Amino acid sequence: MVRISRVMLKEAGNAIDKTLSEILVCPLSKQPLRFCEKTKSLVSDTIGVSFPIKDGIPCLVPKDGKILDEDADASKAS
Amino acid sequence: MRRINSVYGRVEILKRVLEKPTKQSHAFSASRSFSTEGAYGGGGESQQNSSRVKIFDRDLKRVHRDRAAWLSRNKNDTFVDAVAENLLDRLEDCKKSFPSALCLGGSLGAVQRLLRGRGGIEKLIMMDTSHDMIKSCRDAQDDNSIETSYLVGDEEFLPIKESSVDLIISSLGLHWTNDLPGSMIQCKLALKPDGLFLAAILGGETLKELRIACTLAHMEREGGISPRLSPLAQVRDAGNLLTRAGFSLPGVDVDEYVVKYKSALDLIEHLRAMGETNALLQRNKAKFSIFLSRIFSILNRETALATAAIYDSMFATEDGTIPATFQVIYMTGWKEHSSHPQAKRRGSATVSFTDIHKQFGGQS
Repeated sequence: MVRISRVMLKEAGNAIDKTLSEILVCPLSKQPLRFCEKTKSLVSDTIGVSFPIKDGIPCLVPKDGKILDEDADASKAS
Repeated sequence: MRRINSVYGRVEILKRVLEKPTKQSHAFSASRSFSTEGAYGGGGESQQNSSRVKIFDRDLKRVHRDRAAWLSRNKNDTFVDAVAENLLDRLEDCKKSFPSALCLGGSLGAVQRLLRGRGGIEKLIMMDTSHDMIKSCRDAQDDNSIETSYLVGDEEFLPIKESSVDLIISSLGLHWTNDLPGSMIQCKLALKPDGLFLAAILGGETLKELRIACTLAHMEREGGISPRLSPLAQVRDAGNLLTRAGFSLPGVDVDEYVVKYKSALDLIEHLRAMGETNALLQRNKAKFSIFLSRIFSILNRETALATAAIYDSMFATEDGTIPATFQVIYMTGWKEHSSHPQAKRRGSATVSFTDIHKQFGGQS
């Protein structure tokens, strides 16, 4: 239990671990993703979609993605 | 038990006749008469590109896998373990080590548990479409020697950078993808040169007994049939798939496992725990809801009972158990690399076969 919570804390601090941040790309466009500090989500700028991170696990299923409004800021979209 | 199937697999006349309706389901795919229920988030279905043939309901599969995560936790499934063990055993046959590995859907837990330092894996990435499945994997992790990362993603839309991993393992997951060639091509792209792709999928012989029993029961009770079990890849397809995806040194072999159950209900329970229940887009909703999983509850009770009875009478063994066949196709492929042997250009040989024959003694 202690171990798990520690893992969670670590994940929450670093958002996603280094291995993942190095290899993850947008599932649709295969372009690099940007981590958004405000919304704690991964944003694919090419297609304007943000993917959530739940419990430190990035969810990159296209259906989980939220389409960001072009004018609105990424922080408002969540 | 293990046998290598030739390209010209056994032809079972009975099975071919019975499988016809299942095969036809591909042809019907264009029709819109059976669409996904809203209950499973089918709303997005219409937004998706409809030009591609959709056979499986990926959203429903996600729901299945969420359920499977709960049903299978704290339990080790011998069949799934056997497949994972067999797949991972192949890593020992390779001299190469694979520092970074990606493990795709299917029996993630078994792969993680049985890996035991094989293949020299340092970084492991676990990916599944189900968030619950990934979470249960993370909670079950007790081996800290491998740096493991978790990720929710879809095999059909692989979110992995090109040339970034050395090994991709998929144990019993890829047979649920609508676009298997596409997924495999994406896997190949994600691999580094000389990277290895290892996959186990269920083959067309899987659950043949259930297929037969179901079809017979349906014809008898309802005078018609609708697709019950998923269409699965055949052995000959597997080789073609690997070649088409562009893997070099492709290898395919087949294993058949016969699992014995106390009753047909136990079989269904097992399928549920594996998350292997029907997710056909065209399952007949009006009468059957999610067929296979609910065969003995929601659906037409009479047909279900008839299925069980036929299964019993046709296939039951002497000790009262019922066997179910699982055919597993193992696929191995490498991403091309200059170190791989390559065929010379046609007509580039300088020595005649007749001379070779003479040189090495004219046996036969």
